[in-house]
Amino acid sequence: MRLSDQKDIEIRERCEQALARLHALQPSLNAVVTFCDIDEQLEALKEKDPNGKLYGVPIVLKDNVSTKGIRTTASSRILDNYVPVYDACIVERLKAEGAIIVAKASMDELGMGGTNKNAYTGKVNNPYDTRRISGGSSGGSAVLVAAGATAVSIGTDTGDSVRKPAAYNGIIGVKPTYGRISRYGIIPYASSLDHVGYFTTNVEDACTMLEVLAGRDDRDMTSSLRPVEAYRDHLNSDLRGKVIGVLENVQEVIRDQAIRDNVEALCEKLAARGAQIRRVRMPQELMETILPVYLTIANAEATANHSNLDGIRFGMREDGESVEEVMKNSRTKGFSAYVRKRFIIGSYSLFVENQDKLFRKAQKIRRMLVDHYRALFAECDCILASAAPTVAPLEDEASDEALGKEHLVADNHMQLGNFSGYPSMTLPSGFVDGLPIGVNITCRPFEEQMMFDIAKAIEEETGLADHTVEVKA
Amino acid sequence: METFDKEYFQKLAGGIMLDVNDEEVEDLKQEFAILTSQIQLFDKVDTEGVEPMIYPFEEETHFLREDVVDHVLSQQDALKNAKSVRAGHVHVPKVVK
Amino acid sequence: MNYETVIGIEIHCELKTKTKMFSSAPVSFGEVANTCVNEIDLGHPGCLPCVNREAVRLAIKAATALHCTIDPLVRFDRKNYYYSDLPKGFQITQQFHPIGSGGYVEIDTEEGKKKIRLNRMHMEEDTAKQFHSDAGTLIDFNRAGTPLIEIVSEPDMRSGAQAAAYVEKLRMILLYLGVSDVKMEEGSMRCDVNISLRPQGSDTFGTKTEIKNLNSISNVQKAIDAEVERQRAILEEGGVIEQATRRYDETKKTTVMMRKKEGNVDYKYFPEPNIFPIRLDDRWIADIQEHLEELPDQRKERYMRDFGLSDYDAGVLVATRELADFYEAVCAHTNAYKKAANWVIVELTAALNKTNTKWKDNPCKAASLAEMINMVEKGDISGKQAKIVFEEILKGKEPKQVVEEKGMKQMSDTGELLTMIQSVLDANPQSIADFKNGKDRAVGFLVGQVMKASKGQANPAMTNRLIQEELKKR
Repeated sequence: MRLSDQKDIEIRERCEQALARLHALQPSLNAVVTFCDIDEQLEALKEKDPNGKLYGVPIVLKDNVSTKGIRTTASSRILDNYVPVYDACIVERLKAEGAIIVAKASMDELGMGGTNKNAYTGKVNNPYDTRRISGGSSGGSAVLVAAGATAVSIGTDTGDSVRKPAAYNGIIGVKPTYGRISRYGIIPYASSLDHVGYFTTNVEDACTMLEVLAGRDDRDMTSSLRPVEAYRDHLNSDLRGKVIGVLENVQEVIRDQAIRDNVEALCEKLAARGAQIRRVRMPQELMETILPVYLTIANAEATANHSNLDGIRFGMREDGESVEEVMKNSRTKGFSAYVRKRFIIGSYSLFVENQDKLFRKAQKIRRMLVDHYRALFAECDCILASAAPTVAPLEDEASDEALGKEHLVADNHMQLGNFSGYPSMTLPSGFVDGLPIGVNITCRPFEEQMMFDIAKAIEEETGLADHTVEVKA
Repeated sequence: METFDKEYFQKLAGGIMLDVNDEEVEDLKQEFAILTSQIQLFDKVDTEGVEPMIYPFEEETHFLREDVVDHVLSQQDALKNAKSVRAGHVHVPKVVK
Repeated sequence: MNYETVIGIEIHCELKTKTKMFSSAPVSFGEVANTCVNEIDLGHPGCLPCVNREAVRLAIKAATALHCTIDPLVRFDRKNYYYSDLPKGFQITQQFHPIGSGGYVEIDTEEGKKKIRLNRMHMEEDTAKQFHSDAGTLIDFNRAGTPLIEIVSEPDMRSGAQAAAYVEKLRMILLYLGVSDVKMEEGSMRCDVNISLRPQGSDTFGTKTEIKNLNSISNVQKAIDAEVERQRAILEEGGVIEQATRRYDETKKTTVMMRKKEGNVDYKYFPEPNIFPIRLDDRWIADIQEHLEELPDQRKERYMRDFGLSDYDAGVLVATRELADFYEAVCAHTNAYKKAANWVIVELTAALNKTNTKWKDNPCKAASLAEMINMVEKGDISGKQAKIVFEEILKGKEPKQVVEEKGMKQMSDTGELLTMIQSVLDANPQSIADFKNGKDRAVGFLVGQVMKASKGQANPAMTNRLIQEELKKR
């Protein structure tokens, strides 16, 4: 489904149809946490410019995006009753362009996970095979676009939480440059790695969405002052002279021949369009540290970020004799065992005596990884690799902590985009056994136009623009 | 080096206002075994002379917010999400200081 | 054994800004609870901090006045701990890179001037205010997020008096800079004192205790004196000092244990990822430093230099900002600087104290007081009369009006006065003889007679001069 679809249908009907689709999909996908009331939004729309880029377009938000007056849980029990008193920056921007929020989508609790099995409302199902996972943490947002419920949805990406589920669900997932989109009002996971991202089914819509979402916000001191470009108008799929590096460390450890071949075939087509294809690599031993470096930094920042969840000023408060007991009871009951465990590890790594061997050490290795990664872009305009080494796993095969090189490297390489802050996106690149697979491309900071241009060429070659799936009940 | 026993994990969890039950303690013991091997993996990477990377980008910024009152919540909004409110205040059981 | 007292002080001051350190909600005192907050101050999920330019400007002013080295790259860190008055579960502070480091405050001691070295001065945010009762604790988040500077001294003070002088000096400096209200009783300036004793001559530190929640400068000194005595008594009995946080009990005049300190708390400090380092413009810093307000020491020197005041008088005036400001206003209308100082320091202060009037409600107009002083200078009224005029000025009257109403005009007409002097001299031949024999006190007697005859309206100075002239003629 495209943003431009259904323009002939009256807005209220368009939104009601979207809501009807969401309700119809809920039993099979379990992707929605909260269905939103559209009446007030439609009333407010009358004051808005009908030429808004998203005028009257139904949209789904990941449930960590603060929405004034609409329950926002981040799929955690501790926020089950939390109703924000303010809108996230991106909500203001979406509304200014006329978007109508129809649902808040399920996610891994507080963004901590890559399966979407760890949500307070339960596992989100893959629309291609509901026994399989959606991927996470933005699983709910991903499957709803993949199933054609809405044309676009918002996600967030701390490790690969937009780009991985995009691959598992055969859609486009974009994580622009760190600071390109304001994080104000996004319930965080790990601040130095968190990015706002989104899902679409085609590159044009990906351009439009960034035009709407990007731009300086003074409330987020890390947001960039660089002007937002007219990505869509400037879209140009001419690859002549562009250098695309294939990240060999990833491709060589993928065991599924079909997935490796998919990238090879794609590269041949891109070369035929005039792109120069180069084989590039990172130091292997560093590539194997990506996951532990990621977890160490993310857990540490997360444990601090979520210290505000104590049941005192908002959220689910459990009783206790003392204020300390109230906090302890609320937090112990409010988080899943998995999240509590990661908080404990994060806290441990922040102790003065542990920082040098854990938290600060991980930050140092992060710099080494980014230095090597940056060096690749001295000769390449874009780094390309398979987004994931497998199709979406079955529920009981999926784990966030699997070991082995394929997992360590090929399942986590997209975290380089979070370490570096570089713009990165996943596009559908084909199917294996009827299940979608994707390819990931990453460009230099703030070169989103380059990324979209290359994505457009890939999209033209795969012919997978606007692809969605009908969920078999 | 500390001993990763029940008492240790309870104290560790207590420090961030969490309780752990026996089952979780066992789980944490395994986690910390992995963590120990992870530290060994980190140790192998020579980071001599490398500064920690705190932010994705390190160009210095210059922006500071002007000191102008801009956004204030009503008392109703400020307290609306609190479970216990008394006399316009958030209420909690007595804090023992 | 002789013990040496070692004192270090941490001072928190609320900065006088319109908005919070990291949010655009207003800074307030005494407002309705939870009406000066937004989602940032409440630590709601998804909020991000945004640094207040004015808070940084005030911090630079303070750091400059305290002779600190200023770090032009502003960075913040998280201090992690759980407490119901700390909404985010961490405080944003400057642990690793304080905006000011080093520096000193010069105090006056019995042994002369002494420099108290500073360790650092950094910016951070205040916590919420809690009210405890048996029914529970009530939390008001209005104070949460208020900009603070924390000034940490080196352990350079050796007595309660020195500590009090240090706090007082800091208070004055920050007040004159307009950086803070520095009201200890309202909590806009808070003082934590670390105290330990060690044998005289030792260069290692003894176990220290910390005294918190001191609400006045006099209590700083009293608390320290009491704590020093407590520690000395323990040490002399061969006991050990327990590391603890204590408070001062005013009625019992002793310090009381609040809680034991079990090792150092690990606050798991790490750099705040949501605030990129901010490079301050050198010209901006220079501009702030060049336009720094006159500091108390500078003002005191100016009073001694330009107004010819004694060290003591200048010190008394400067010690109370309102007093000094009023004094300057008076001096704008009179050149009798010393007399003006005397009237302000002695008479006006006493009058305000008597009626329990605060300085901000001072009813005395500077111009009126100056006019009255000028009248005395010119000999229009006597010093005695001036006191009566002063009483009326406090009631809002103009000096001229009072003098006329009360018929106070001094007799300064030479002709009239001379006639009176001649008749007094004629009536006192013995005094004339005494004067000729070198007994000067005869003059005093004669002046007194003239004053009596004039019913106090003769100008004493003029009378004195004329009598001497007349005596020489006889």
